[in-house]
This record gives sequence, structure tokens and C-alpha cells, in this order.
Amino acid sequence: MVLAGRTEAFEPLVTLHRRPLLALAYRLTRDREEALEVAQEAFYRAFRSLGRFDASRSFRNWLFQIAANEARDRMRKSIRERAALEGAVRDVPRPADPEAGHDGREVRSDLMDCLSELSAREREVFVLRDIEELDIRETARALGCSSASVRVNLSKARRKVRDAIRARHPHLEAGR
Amino acid sequence: MNCRRAKRLMPLHAGNDLSARRMRQVGGHLDSCPACRRELEEYRRALGTVRSAARAEDAPDWSDGEWRAVVARAVEGGRGGRDRRAAVRGPVLRPRWAVAAGAAAALVVAAVMLVWRNTGMRPGPAVASRAAGEHGLGLSATAPRAGEQRTGSVVEQDVVSVTLVSQETGLQVVWFFRKDFEWKGDQE
Repeated sequence: MVLAGRTEAFEPLVTLHRRPLLALAYRLTRDREEALEVAQEAFYRAFRSLGRFDASRSFRNWLFQIAANEARDRMRKSIRERAALEGAVRDVPRPADPEAGHDGREVRSDLMDCLSELSAREREVFVLRDIEELDIRETARALGCSSASVRVNLSKARRKVRDAIRARHPHLEAGR
Repeated sequence: MNCRRAKRLMPLHAGNDLSARRMRQVGGHLDSCPACRRELEEYRRALGTVRSAARAEDAPDWSDGEWRAVVARAVEGGRGGRDRRAAVRGPVLRPRWAVAAGAAAALVVAAVMLVWRNTGMRPGPAVASRAAGEHGLGLSATAPRAGEQRTGSVVEQDVVSVTLVSQETGLQVVWFFRKDFEWKGDQE
């Protein structure tokens, strides 16, 4: 219906994918404001590009592709500022945790911070394949690369994530 | 398959991302290697842990009002975008552009005529071009005098004409003389 020009049909179509797209944007950017902007731009681009949508594809995966491209573009643009900011943050000693241990939310956040160990491409591949559970072919299509490239980056990403968890959360790694 | 090769393939094996043949090869090795089996379990546990953490994580979201604004922006912006692209693809001259283009062309023609008129090919006072008369050709080098404007009403055999052609510009100038025209210059 949207393709036929009924723009009012766009909202129900994208509402289904609102939360998954926001979650993906957040996992790729690790920044709430940036994620909102990425998702907003993805919906905007999606509407503009509806005429080029291949109906044989999953609409959700197509949206993911647009969002991944947008996130990558933004990260490239802001990479210097981000590096400078992260450097400054690292230099500031983290305050001691007032609680005796991590609560669940902090552990989850730390686990997701393992993704910061990955390169941009590795993170994209890892998030799309292992968290969003796209298959290798769809992941390759979303990222505009070959399946072989996805496998290479996925292998590196999983190894880095395993090593990061082993280093940061040995109790989780040991299965305790 | 040895341990080194199996460990290289382990990350992909943990997510079932190897071809069936490779999966069988690694599986055969795992059956006989407890160390590699432990490593495989370690990968699977790590992936499961991160996946669970991701699912449980609070992702940002819009309020209902913000969401409606996002959709409205996408739709309105998208319409604008399509219009811009259409304008680029199909350059259609709108009426005001057509009028402007016509006016510009007329100005250019007038300018060219003025230049030609001032290049020293000024005809004599009795000259009328074909365009000035009713012969319908080319440029008017000068306006005919009041007397010559009646050329069309003169019977044709009463008129003598002389045509001059510029070899440089191709400009043709036709001189029309009345039958009773007297060239007084020769007599002086």
C-alpha cells in the first residue's frame, strides 16, 4: 500500500520495527542519542527509498541495512571526536562501586561494553549475526560485503568477545 | 584435523556458520579432543551470555508524540526528496522560464543586429532591405524613409534593384531604385 502511494500506511508498517531498529542502532553506536538519530534517519531514508525495496526481501532486514549504513557513516564522521572523548574518560579514575558487587544492569552493561573491543566492521557483523540473528547471507547483504568477509570478521569478533569476557568476567566464562 | 586447525575454525563452529563438510570435520576432531570441546563450550557460553545481555538491555525509545513526529518527518521529507529527484531527472521548462528564455533570445538577436548595423555596412538613404519591404528576407540595415515605405504599393516594373552580398558575413543588401530616380552626384 505504501508502494502504491498510500503514505498513511507507512506508520503501521514501520511501527512493527521501531523497537528492533532502535535496539540495533543502540548496539551499533553504544550511545542513546546517537541511536535515536540513526533510527530516525533510517526511517526517513527508508520512506524515500521505498520504490527501490525488493519485495522478496525481509523488510526488517532492509531497515537494518539502512540503519547499519547510517550508523557507519555517523561513526566515521565523529571518530576523531569520539576517540578524544573516550581518551579523556579513560584518564578519569572510575569511582569505587558503593555496592559490594555489580547488580544485574551493570553486568549487562559491562558485557555489552565488550563490543567496544571490536572494530566497526566486526561489531556490525557480530551484532547482525549473533544478536539480531540474521544469517550469513543476509548479514553480507546488509553490509554490502561478501559472505567470506562476514565469516572472517565474525570469527575475529567472536574470538575477541570470548577473550574480553574471559578477562573481565572470569566467573561468567567459567560458567559459574 | 589437528587441534590448531580446529581452534581456528572454532568461533564459526560455535555458531553453526561452517559448511556441512567443515562441521563434520571439526565434529570428528571434537569427539576425540576434550580440550577443544571445552573451548567450543567456552565460545558458546560467551555468545549466549552476550546475547542474553543484549536482549535484557534497555534500548532507547521515543515517546508516542516523538514517534509520530519521526514518522511525519520521514513521510514529509520523503515526499520532498522525491520531488527534488523528479526535478533533477526531468528538466521541464515551466512557463515563466519559457518567457524568460524567449526574452533572452530576443535580446541576443537585437544585440547582434545592432552590431551588424554598426560595422560600416551602413547603406545609403534609399536602401531598404528585403525585410523592410515586402520581400521577406533577413536583416534590416536601416529603416527606409517615408517615401520607400510605399515600395509595396509601387508597380513592380517601375522598380530597379541592385543586390550587394558581403563575402565575409553573407549579408545581402538590396537597393531599390524608382524608375524615375535621378543620381545627381554624377552630374556634379
